[in-house]
Amino acid sequence: MVYQCPVCKKISSAGLDLARHMIGRGDKEHRDWISSRGFKYSELLALQFKSFGGEGYKALAEVLEKETRVEG
Amino acid sequence: MSTYSVIGKRVRRVDGPDKVSGRAKYTFDLVLPEMLYGKILRSPHPHARILSIDTSKAEKLIGVKAVVTGKDTLGRKNGIWRRFPELCDEEILCRTKVRYIGDPVAAVAAVDEDTAEEALDLIDVEYEPLPAVFDPLEAIKEDAPQIHEGVELNINVTRHIEWGDVDEAFKKCDYVREDQFKCSSQAHMAMETHCAVASFGLDGKLTVWTSTQSSYYVQRLLADMVGLREGDIRVIKPATGGGFGGKFELDSPQFCASVLSMKVCKPVKIVLQREEEFTASKRRTPMYCYSRLGAKKDGTLLAKEIRVITEGGAYTGMGATCLYLTGFFSSFPYRYPSYRYDGYRVYTNTAPTSAMRGFGAPQSTFVSEGQLDMLAADLGIDPVQIRRLNGMVPNHEVPGQATVQSCGLPECLDSIDQHLRQRGKLPPDHGIGIAAYGFMSGGIFNWFDTPYAFSAAIVRVNIDGKVDLFTGACDIGQGSDTTLSMICAEELGVALEDIRIHAADTGICPVDLGAWGSRQTLMTGNAVKMAAADAKRQLLEFAAAKLGANIVYDLDIKDRHVHLVDRPEKGFSYYDIVKQAIRGKDGEAIIGRGHYTPHRKGMVSPAYSFGVQAVEVAVDRETGRYKLLNVTTAHESGTVINPVGIEGQLEGAIMMAGGYGFCEDQPMDDGRILNPSIAEYKLIRSLDMPETKILEIDTYEPEGPFGAKEAGEGLTNPTAAALGNAIHKAVGVRINSLPITPEKVFRALQDQKQ
Amino acid sequence: MKHELKFTVNGHPYELHIRPKTLLVQVLRDHLGLTGTKRGCSCSSCAACTVLLNGMAVKSCSVLALQAEGAEVLTVEGLARGPELNPLQQAFLDHGAFQCGFCTPGMLMAATALLRETPKPNKDQIREGIDANICRCTGYNSIIRAVTAVANGEYQEAAK
Ligand code: FES
Ligand code: FES
Ligand SMILES: [Zn+2]
Repeated sequence: MVYQCPVCKKISSAGLDLARHMIGRGDKEHRDWISSRGFKYSELLALQFKSFGGEGYKALAEVLEKETRVEG
Repeated sequence: MSTYSVIGKRVRRVDGPDKVSGRAKYTFDLVLPEMLYGKILRSPHPHARILSIDTSKAEKLIGVKAVVTGKDTLGRKNGIWRRFPELCDEEILCRTKVRYIGDPVAAVAAVDEDTAEEALDLIDVEYEPLPAVFDPLEAIKEDAPQIHEGVELNINVTRHIEWGDVDEAFKKCDYVREDQFKCSSQAHMAMETHCAVASFGLDGKLTVWTSTQSSYYVQRLLADMVGLREGDIRVIKPATGGGFGGKFELDSPQFCASVLSMKVCKPVKIVLQREEEFTASKRRTPMYCYSRLGAKKDGTLLAKEIRVITEGGAYTGMGATCLYLTGFFSSFPYRYPSYRYDGYRVYTNTAPTSAMRGFGAPQSTFVSEGQLDMLAADLGIDPVQIRRLNGMVPNHEVPGQATVQSCGLPECLDSIDQHLRQRGKLPPDHGIGIAAYGFMSGGIFNWFDTPYAFSAAIVRVNIDGKVDLFTGACDIGQGSDTTLSMICAEELGVALEDIRIHAADTGICPVDLGAWGSRQTLMTGNAVKMAAADAKRQLLEFAAAKLGANIVYDLDIKDRHVHLVDRPEKGFSYYDIVKQAIRGKDGEAIIGRGHYTPHRKGMVSPAYSFGVQAVEVAVDRETGRYKLLNVTTAHESGTVINPVGIEGQLEGAIMMAGGYGFCEDQPMDDGRILNPSIAEYKLIRSLDMPETKILEIDTYEPEGPFGAKEAGEGLTNPTAAALGNAIHKAVGVRINSLPITPEKVFRALQDQKQ
Repeated sequence: MKHELKFTVNGHPYELHIRPKTLLVQVLRDHLGLTGTKRGCSCSSCAACTVLLNGMAVKSCSVLALQAEGAEVLTVEGLARGPELNPLQQAFLDHGAFQCGFCTPGMLMAATALLRETPKPNKDQIREGIDANICRCTGYNSIIRAVTAVANGEYQEAAK
């Protein structure tokens, strides 16, 4: 089971990793996708420096796990 | 032992006699006939639209010869990352908007400084203040003011580095810890402030004398900005009073003096006041860092994940390089099987941040060496031991990034270990902390987009055997004129006093990218060595016939003696061969040429130097005050060309990097730097300066001239980190934000009590 | 309104007419062309401008030139005898006690004043003696070694 970035098609082995990828890229396309799911990109990014445990990634990862799963 | 005649010897600097007698002429000292004095008007607002600028009153003031604003420029945007137009974002003379307190809006040239100053007061600028944002975590919010058009969320540059399967590796760790850090800013505070004298002639040619780390960059960037051809601009670097990373971009005195001079066709001199230097020149990059580190029980590091968000300030400058190097050096000097870095540089309405000695690595070293000590303590492993277990070794490959050839880290660790043992048991509240580091010998990536070789040199042998060495290298105090002269003398087989160096004048010297990224010894050194070898070969062609040698390779010159390599006693004087060679060449002086551009060495640097530093402190538990007692550094930089130079680099770095850890800071209030004077900016003075000791470790770098590599900036990396670790050893408190002020230590000690 | 200033600099007598607010550093650098004396600040806090005024180290950016009326001023240019560097200058060369050299004139003058007052200073006295002088390059220890070498008599005054 793998997850595929809905924007650039990068394959990740975990939803959390894909969330990190999408926030990490941070270009307009990735950001737009994130906002289209009701997240605020800047908040997710700021959380990376304000909290431990990759908090900002988790919520996004849950969505990604549902929506981007592909057989691999 | 080495058989070198010149290199490795304790020589007097070639610029020494001038400097100790007061005769060295700096840009600051230059006076030309008819010269005017310029001053720059700067924005008092952190973020504002310029509605209008009325210069008419200023122009009428007696003694004022010219006033210029953004309207008098071509309206181009300047940036040192020339290959990436979106990162060229600085007009220098702002036309429509100012983005930090200190952004230039106008410049005046007058018969003297007082008149120029008076004229600044007569310029009316109407601003419409805009909302401003100062903290990168605020600046990325959707509703934050946009500082540069089209740059959403103010994100200026992002950098990502990754190798191995980080998430899988973390799963395999026995122990993982997460920490957050905050790194502060720092002023370069070179003793000579930024300054330039620009002189535009009726022949349409511009000459600029300036205090710079790269006369070539200034020449090229000025050409872009004022619309002259590169060859119509000559940039000359006289003696230069320090740089430390703050002087290799095009700056406001250079640009404004040039624009003014082009308007009046007279020389114009601009010297920044110390306060302007603090508020309106670039500075070290502050950043928030998050780091996660995972290891096995025995201390083997398996995975690391680090994120930083940096306060970019108003413009990019060298910020893109810094952001990458912070990420790259966060992995140093260890062998991580998996590693991930995400870096974000964010525009803010503060003075721009850019390169400063260590180039993003002092910050990353503070973070990673602090965290590594914490992890080692948690696992009950000795700090030296955990570094030995994971440290880089020769011929290490950083996946996808770089190849390390020579590496003396294991020996450095041994010798620091010995030092720690010798110190034995320390008195109460004393502690020694260590930090390991590595650094590059010049950068490879051609972001400047130069078509030239990165370094070049020309060697001219004259009829009397004297040698002229021409190079674009910039001696800003670090001693490259001496080091390069030594390399030239050694290769050519003559004495140091036979060499006369002509450097950093674009009118006569071949292009060199200049003094930054610790590149001069290795890169320019290679070019000089090649040029000297070329000249030597031409001389030996004449000697070969006389000595009956089969080919020139059987011959060599040493200590001004031309001889057969196998039978050194058989030979004759260098002076004779020079005379014959020049006659034999129809009277042409012997000219040797050399150049160097790194190739097939990964994407970062052709070579890396390493070291381990031990900082000893004594803490007063009552007040949190502490004293730096001793800094001992085991250090390797390949073959040591100039030992006096290395000692100086080391001790100077301790003053600067110790200051970064100990006291230097630039607190701000709404974008205004609160301590813009030497009286208020605390730094390490002679009474605070610790004892220093250097433990030199022998290595040989195959890529460097005579086996040499960098010894300038790397030394700035470990001190703040080792200091933090020392405080922890001494009194058990851990400070994760810079600088480590007595107040922070005091507070932490209070918390510890509870 | 210009005032007359008569004083001696490096052994040469001068008679100048200057504005009363002119600083000593301005007279030295701008009027006499003695640019060895540097300026690193404008608020008397870096000591790059140190010269000797009647044998005492002063910051020439915080002294009015008129205060030097009748005085003897020694600047870095007055240390060498012709081509012959003095002991302190030689020691600075041998110990690499400078890099960019911008603080060096002030440093040499501060050390000169120190050695005149305390011919055999210990390390702490040397640190104290140059504490006002900021050097951003060397980290001070090489300067301290150079001054110590001179105090130990390792350098001889050039024969006159
Ligand atoms: S110039 Fe700084 S103290 Fe005089
Ligand atoms: S040598 Fe550069 S400031 Fe002292
Ligand atoms: Zn993607």
